[in-house]
Amino acid sequence: MDAAPAVALLGITKRFPGLVANDSIDLDVRAGEIHALLGENGAGKSTLMNILTGIYQPDGGEIRLGGAPVRFASAADAIAAGIGMVHQHFKLIRAFTVAENIHLGWGETPLAVSAAAMEARTRALAAEFGLDVRAEARVEDLSAGEQQRVEILRVLARGARVLILDEPTAVLTPGESTRLLENLRAYAGAGRAVIFISHKLDEVLAVADRITVLRAGKRVATLATAECDKARLARLMVGRDLAPAGGRSPGGAPGEVVLALEGVSAQDDRGVAALRDVSLHVRAGEILAIAGVAGNGQRELTEVVTGLRQVSAGSVRLGGQAMAGQGPAAFLAAGVGHIPEDRLRTALAPSLGVAQNAVLRGYFRPPCARGFRFSPAGAMALARRIVGEAQVFVPNLRAPVRNLSGGNQQRLVARREMAVATRLLVAAYPTRGLDIGAIETLLRFIGEARDRGVGVLMVSEELDEVLRIADRVAVLFKGRVMGVFPAAEADGERLGLLMGGQAEAA
Amino acid sequence: MRLRRVASVGVWGIIVSRVASVVVALGIGGVAFALCGYDVGRLAGDVVSASFGNLFGIEDLGLLWSPLMLTGLAAAVALRIGLWNIGGEGQFYAGAIAATLVGLHVQAPLWVALGLMAVAGFAGGALWIAVPAVARAFWAVDEIITTLLLNFVAALLVGYLCTGPMRDPHQAVTAASAHIPYEIPPLLDDLHWGFAVSVALVGVVALLLGRSVWGYEVRVAGSNGRAAFYAGMPVRVRLMQVFLLSGGLAGVAGMLEVAGTVHRLQGGISNNFGYLGIMVAALAGASPLGVLPASLLLAVLLNAGIVLQSYGVSSYAVLALTGLVLFCAAVGERLAYLRMRPAA
Amino acid sequence: MIELLTGILATAVLAGGVLVLGAMGEVLAERSGVFNLGVEGLMALGAVSGIVAVAHGAPAWLGLGVAAFVAAVFGAVFAAATVILGANQTLCGLALTVAGSGLAAAAGRPYAGQPARAMFEAVSVPWLSAVPVLGRAVFTQNPVVYVVWIAAPLALHWLLFRTRWGISLRAVGEDPAAADAAGVRVVAVRMAAVVGGAALAGAGGGFLTLAYVPSWSDGIVGGRGWIVIALVIFGGFRPVNVALGAFGFGVITALGFVGQARDWAVPPAFLSMLPYLATVACMIGLRRRGAPQALGNPYNKEER
Repeated sequence: MDAAPAVALLGITKRFPGLVANDSIDLDVRAGEIHALLGENGAGKSTLMNILTGIYQPDGGEIRLGGAPVRFASAADAIAAGIGMVHQHFKLIRAFTVAENIHLGWGETPLAVSAAAMEARTRALAAEFGLDVRAEARVEDLSAGEQQRVEILRVLARGARVLILDEPTAVLTPGESTRLLENLRAYAGAGRAVIFISHKLDEVLAVADRITVLRAGKRVATLATAECDKARLARLMVGRDLAPAGGRSPGGAPGEVVLALEGVSAQDDRGVAALRDVSLHVRAGEILAIAGVAGNGQRELTEVVTGLRQVSAGSVRLGGQAMAGQGPAAFLAAGVGHIPEDRLRTALAPSLGVAQNAVLRGYFRPPCARGFRFSPAGAMALARRIVGEAQVFVPNLRAPVRNLSGGNQQRLVARREMAVATRLLVAAYPTRGLDIGAIETLLRFIGEARDRGVGVLMVSEELDEVLRIADRVAVLFKGRVMGVFPAAEADGERLGLLMGGQAEAA
Repeated sequence: MRLRRVASVGVWGIIVSRVASVVVALGIGGVAFALCGYDVGRLAGDVVSASFGNLFGIEDLGLLWSPLMLTGLAAAVALRIGLWNIGGEGQFYAGAIAATLVGLHVQAPLWVALGLMAVAGFAGGALWIAVPAVARAFWAVDEIITTLLLNFVAALLVGYLCTGPMRDPHQAVTAASAHIPYEIPPLLDDLHWGFAVSVALVGVVALLLGRSVWGYEVRVAGSNGRAAFYAGMPVRVRLMQVFLLSGGLAGVAGMLEVAGTVHRLQGGISNNFGYLGIMVAALAGASPLGVLPASLLLAVLLNAGIVLQSYGVSSYAVLALTGLVLFCAAVGERLAYLRMRPAA
Repeated sequence: MIELLTGILATAVLAGGVLVLGAMGEVLAERSGVFNLGVEGLMALGAVSGIVAVAHGAPAWLGLGVAAFVAAVFGAVFAAATVILGANQTLCGLALTVAGSGLAAAAGRPYAGQPARAMFEAVSVPWLSAVPVLGRAVFTQNPVVYVVWIAAPLALHWLLFRTRWGISLRAVGEDPAAADAAGVRVVAVRMAAVVGGAALAGAGGGFLTLAYVPSWSDGIVGGRGWIVIALVIFGGFRPVNVALGAFGFGVITALGFVGQARDWAVPPAFLSMLPYLATVACMIGLRRRGAPQALGNPYNKEER
């Protein structure tokens, strides 16, 4: 008889108001195995792991470690039982040092302890597990890769026998990703069970022993990697064959330059240089995609071309008009629409109704307003139009917009911005966090804008998307443009090298 | 069946939870009074008859309702843009001082004088909130504390003025200013036109918030300041405008009290109207129209305080009760999102 | 001149002492991420409880204990509403202030104006109390003063920055989700911090009526609770800095009294305004630094 799996989840069910996140899911992982958990956004992977790590309580089902049933009343219980998770969005205290983060909530931390003692202990641990971290540095000063190493160190230091990593390569350069995947082998080799959550088929096929596919809260299949290929996995993930690629522009030549950046430099919120001497242009009727791992100046770039941030050097011109020192209102008047990275934080008023949010770009002119007067009826008419185009089907347009699903919110913002983007549409990570259906719709909308003659500046970290839809691709690394070339000349390897900072041969 | 949190409850859900919170708070208060040996039934009966039993009672209620309407409106309008104006008390006093100064030194026909006094009242209140407003809009200094501390300063200032420079030379006993020659004409016997002005202001602000472009921008900024900036709205300007409007409204409340009810400046006229204004705004969910019933409730509670004094109980007990009402409303707001739902 | 200086310092030690206790409590609460605006009400409750306790025969130290206990009970109710239920902290804090002040005033009426039956007597430290100025100001005070000014801030500093519990507490205030994922029991830590903070605020109120004034009257707390909150903000949430700030305010308050007693040219009303105006000025001049990231936000584990 086989030894009991290191960890097994049996019939796990979890409900939230309005949806069933996990529906009777079974999962087992053996010691020494790398098991991939595959599924698109919203399939229930993170929820399942939050249950395994004691952050959520399951509504049904049971967890077994080494064959014995266990209950985790809290994250502390799970950690004590040897379950360690490295989250996609790092759960580190940014204001604390690395050493303080390692010692947080750790049973081995002495009751009275000084900073120096903590740092010494941290260095010893880092050496033991072969991870390169600076014990005295504050987490907010570390790069994404370094932060991830801190998370891994924390988990290993607590003696984790089950290691869970949630989308670990999302924030890494291709080089760092490769290194991480190699290290996973080492962790598994020491007898640990490794669970690896991802939606990237390549990585999963490269590193996992077995793969479990989740879809809409249910387990669809568990297969040995040897029995799979990308097409089969994609079909299982999505439940149908992927629609054919969105397609390039129907052959029309791009028009005049709508956006021109010349020698632009800008600082981020902390005063650190985020953009260095960036020169780019976008023409009407073309899509320029900005590729690059998040955190290399992409956000600041989108803010600079929409008036949300001022440049410290260089010029930004819209249709030839200099926009120095102008704010968002001027950019709106110049025909710029902006689908931001974080819609709920930046582009929506969460407690206001769907209709109120839909007219955010048109509230000061007819049909919403005449002079000072604002007409709720006029606003409702405009809102209905935008909501209809966005294919958002809600019975009550007065309900708070935060109640909408992520996909609905994003479609709403997209159509709203497209309605005012007569010159330029800026989209930052437009498909992040959406399910496949919403992704397809968003990309179709963006294609539609381009076909109408609008210039599109799109930032994305999904290389497939980029290659599928863009006309030209630019790569940002540490605030500099590493290269700009037609999409037809781009492939994963060339982009990956540029994203990793390797300049092209002149 | 289990208790679960639902995503949204709709307007009626909120109203029901508010009413329930008030009932619970009054219930706890009633139990506390009973435990202290008072006849709760008789007490409640006395309060109701004192407030609604006869015309005088209703008018006196109106005299309490009117200032609460305005201080509640002041706090509510600030809350709509996400600001906490706890300085209603001080702005009330500042408006009263300014109005009294104008009233004592201006020679004009009645309505002109009253108009000038009203402007002075608004200006006084706006001036009193100006420093916290600038500090918050430009330097992100927490307005809760700054507006609140100025309440104490205003009370001390009024005390100083009434016993010093503005002291009534004809009266030796109370510390108060001279009698202001311009009095707001009565609407009914005791109730003056200030009541109508207050109601009208509630309507104006409601229209401003709901039917003007300015109001839309304020509401968006209150929900998400960053989104307001993204949409090209002048957020800082709106913050200052709302601050000054809020202070001004409280100042007008002070002017109406001084010109309509008390007819001179003296300490204690604010009677906690400023602090109770926050409660009104919280109970009303920051809705101007909601301020009307909420301020009526608090006016009845204040009336209860007066009745209590005839029972030998300190009127502070009623103040404590209002605190309990606010607490229950805050808790009730969270509880409103819990429902019994089937587990499966 | 020496007399004047001595008098000011001696008063400052007492006046500021009230603030220090309350401020230490608020630092504790705010470091865990809870913005407790009810300090004024808690101090009032503590003040009246102390007076009532000694009026019934309790010795001063027991009165202080009762003050702390009563405030802790109310603090627990506040904590349950804000930490467990997630109710709006500003509204609950204001409610606590109004309700607490009202209850205290109602309960304290029979005792108004009477000197405390038992109070903390000044004690002369041998030798040191003979030193000019400091001798009387610092070394001839009641023993609680030393606990308040020396033990409390140092202990809190040690607790926050040199213990395991302090790391957990600060983590909860910075990022409760991360602390939760690390195994820290967020709700328990916040409850403990708020209740502990409330007890300290109550003790501050007790110090007011049992050591400083020492009697009860209506409005005796007079906004000190709000000054405490401001102190914590521009003291950068660090115990020792906040204590120093409290001393500064003690001096300002003392100046006000001295001015009135000596008939200075400034009207007494304006001297009384000094502490409040100084607070506003400091809040503007010394902008908020080092606030815990999650201050004021309730933590909801399962909210998506």
